[in-house]
Amino acid sequence: MLDSFEILSTSGVVLWSKTYVPIGPSVVNSLIKDVFIEGRNAAAPDESRGPKPTYKKDKYTLKWTTAKDLGLIFVAVYQSLLHLSWVDELLDNIRALFTGLYGEQLKKSKSSAISVKFDSYFDRQVQELEKTGETTSARHEDSASDVQFTPPSTSSDADPSADELPPPIPGLRKADLARPISRDDNSTDVTPIPTPETSRPTTPAVNNHLLTAKGGPGGRGSRRSRKAASSSSAQASSGDESPARRGKGTAGKAAAKKMRKWDAEGMADEDDGTTLDYSGAASGGEMPAANVEEIRQDTWGRKTKKGEFVLKDLDEEMDSIIAASKEKQAAASEEGSSGLMGQGIGAISGLFRNVVGGKKLTKDDLVKPLKAMEDHLLNKNVAREAAVQLCQSVETELIGSKTATFTSMDTTIRAAMNTALIKILTPTTSLDLLRVVEATRKSRPFVISIVGVNGVGKSTNLSKLAFFFLQNQYRVLIAAGDTFRSGAVEQLRVHVRNLKELTKREGGEVDIFERGYGKDAANIAKDAVQFAAEQHYDVVLIDTAGRRHNDTRLMSSLEKFAKLAQPDKIFMVGEALVGTDSVAQARNFNDSFGPGRGLDGFVVSKCDTVGDMVGTLVSMVFATGIPIVFLGVGQHYSDLRGFSVAWAVQLLMS
Amino acid sequence: MAWYDEDSFLTRGLGPYLSTILITALIAFTLPVFLHFFIFRAKTPTSLPTFLVIGPSGSGKTSLVTLFEKGAPSPTHLSQSPLSVRVSLPSTTKAASSKYRSENDPTLKLEKPLLLVDTPGHGKLRHFGLEHLNATPNLKGIIYVVDAASIPSSSTGSSSESGLADAAEYLHDILLVLQKRYTTAKSSKGPKDVPVLIAANKLDLFTALPAPLLKTSLEKEISRVRETRAKGLLTAGSGDADADDRGWLGEGGESKFEFRQMEEVNVPVQVVGGNVLGSEGPDVDKWWDWIGSKL
Repeated sequence: MLDSFEILSTSGVVLWSKTYVPIGPSVVNSLIKDVFIEGRNAAAPDESRGPKPTYKKDKYTLKWTTAKDLGLIFVAVYQSLLHLSWVDELLDNIRALFTGLYGEQLKKSKSSAISVKFDSYFDRQVQELEKTGETTSARHEDSASDVQFTPPSTSSDADPSADELPPPIPGLRKADLARPISRDDNSTDVTPIPTPETSRPTTPAVNNHLLTAKGGPGGRGSRRSRKAASSSSAQASSGDESPARRGKGTAGKAAAKKMRKWDAEGMADEDDGTTLDYSGAASGGEMPAANVEEIRQDTWGRKTKKGEFVLKDLDEEMDSIIAASKEKQAAASEEGSSGLMGQGIGAISGLFRNVVGGKKLTKDDLVKPLKAMEDHLLNKNVAREAAVQLCQSVETELIGSKTATFTSMDTTIRAAMNTALIKILTPTTSLDLLRVVEATRKSRPFVISIVGVNGVGKSTNLSKLAFFFLQNQYRVLIAAGDTFRSGAVEQLRVHVRNLKELTKREGGEVDIFERGYGKDAANIAKDAVQFAAEQHYDVVLIDTAGRRHNDTRLMSSLEKFAKLAQPDKIFMVGEALVGTDSVAQARNFNDSFGPGRGLDGFVVSKCDTVGDMVGTLVSMVFATGIPIVFLGVGQHYSDLRGFSVAWAVQLLMS
Repeated sequence: MAWYDEDSFLTRGLGPYLSTILITALIAFTLPVFLHFFIFRAKTPTSLPTFLVIGPSGSGKTSLVTLFEKGAPSPTHLSQSPLSVRVSLPSTTKAASSKYRSENDPTLKLEKPLLLVDTPGHGKLRHFGLEHLNATPNLKGIIYVVDAASIPSSSTGSSSESGLADAAEYLHDILLVLQKRYTTAKSSKGPKDVPVLIAANKLDLFTALPAPLLKTSLEKEISRVRETRAKGLLTAGSGDADADDRGWLGEGGESKFEFRQMEEVNVPVQVVGGNVLGSEGPDVDKWWDWIGSKL
């Protein structure tokens, strides 16, 4: 069943979590990394698993939902084998409950921690949803679920009344108020009230903790009832009791737990300390003792009812919170139709807030400016797919958030788009090619191969790269892997001759490795690497024939090439001129090297010809998540540049 | 009814009537108050002394911050957004500003609030940290958290191990920003000094590198980083004019980089070990002492 449920903030602090089966933190970490930070793997909602997005890692399935304005993420983790239909509802309800209960606390900034006593709410929710889930789909493994998390009262074979009375359900303060009233309503005399009160101070847990104190009498009663029914079952029931406590126990209940242990040392079977304390306090005189007995009977008699009261209060509160949040949602969606007067006032205050800030953004507000933003991106030559997705991500980020003081909506959207672009373009790891090459320099040659569509400038960029390495005093071998196009080898030969001339004084050394035309490129590459290793070259640059990315026959040879040549880095050259096709190009080339191998970076050529329409950069990174390493910005050997995110974003947003 | 009539609202509004005066006074006096509460409510009036917690992913930044705040670290995951937390100096640590106070001075007992800003360490989100370096008012220092267990000692592992390379590169970037802050300062006095604490975290682990060794490893790796950076290509968008502007951290020349060189640009660097988690409880007193000495 459910393995773990966590509520965490975007700043990485786990606010509350409940773990049924221990799972490492890596599962949730990889969810955050892949989905939230890198924007990959955002699997479309799977119809069979409900409308919430899912993420699969190892054998786990993760479902999550977010509360954007509070910066909260709710994650449910369960085994992929299971089919839990109620997880979506659980996520929604928990979100509503948690934001309802602790939203105010969370809004107070400058703190990472809030005191959360959320266990009882969560347990009730799970129980409820599980019940409904079981009634709707009979495919659940009941036994497993019961063992996992329904409080053991259900699994115990004691009287059914215990069912409605999960012993440790703590009453809320509300319940606290409600209880005396309910007592008065009942026909019993006043006696029951004083006794708990007199006895309360004797138990330390009561003083420490109101919540556990409330839970006390109910639990006590139930146990006693069972004892009354059959003294032999006492052991079993107490044995049942402990896992429930343990399951519910978190930091908030540490005090109560300690208490129990302390008691258990005396007589684990007998009962927990609360009872003992009660009797001790009551046994001051004979008459009071008798009184206590009486009360016990009373409390016992009303116990189930009382328990129900407490439960009902908890449930009612939960339901009311959930209902309120649902209502709020409904109200938000119907806000527009609140009459002419309301509309007028709304429009005016909206205008005011648009200037001053503090406007809560809704979907309707965002539609128009986002459309404009999308057009702007399309004008910058960003592929439609990427532009739409970017705008969507900005939209989901902004809905529900408030504009800052004295910022208009447009500025807010621009800022959000800016961060989205920075996020997408910034590489995950460092791209210092020289440092990587330096690391392998002593042991073996560093192999770089270049692939791409016809005519994008593979050979030109390869020679630019060679020039770059030569200037850093490396020995470079260029392998002529294009055995197909006439003149390709000769072209490289000319490049090598030029480079030799250019860098003679600098101390670099460059040679060409060629085997003529018509041979298998993969074998040539392999031979070149071998040759370079023997001759102690530092870098091997392998040119390949240009190929159309949607021609499977040509693309299939790349897999063999990657296997034989074992390049350290595979760069794909793409034109800045190409538009929507760049997405398909990047994807197809990235997939063509077989499983476990992909591209390591892009070289985007002809950047000098497009001005500020550098959308191709975004499209290619968007499609694959692979960073751009170099930009070609001219016809000379020195016209190769590193990629700068700030520069690209500035051009895109101008 | 013309506008100049006795009863028209314009005449009333401009005439010496009690109601007019009252309404005018009400508006005149409440509007500033209203605007004040409406607009400036969210602003904190003064900025607390701020320490930036920065470092590569998984080094224990958020844990450290929660530990400082509550006395016990919370379980954490990857951070996606910065987090500002108000903490106060523990009573055992003395702030430098109260050095000359008597032990019995009651003001010593007052809590010393400070702000810790936790930044995400994931490669894609480091711009948050780098932006904060220049944008934080009252920045008192930077705590650079490093996972000392992820860095292999120079004798065993090869230098290209990603943990060290990553940590050194990020640190290089931060120090470069701080250096630029000093060199491009307008005033002759230069900006206030920004001390950097390199907190070698996770020293409770067996594989962790002790603080002095970590220092030499980082220095060596930063020398390597600045060398390859200097040799690397120009980035797009920067003209030939600012080719020299890329920055060379520390002293010029071929000599090795040392953290001592940063003192010239008002950035004293100190490496101190400790651990946030651990079977014997956290060991962060030295870090607190460092914070106290900078207050």
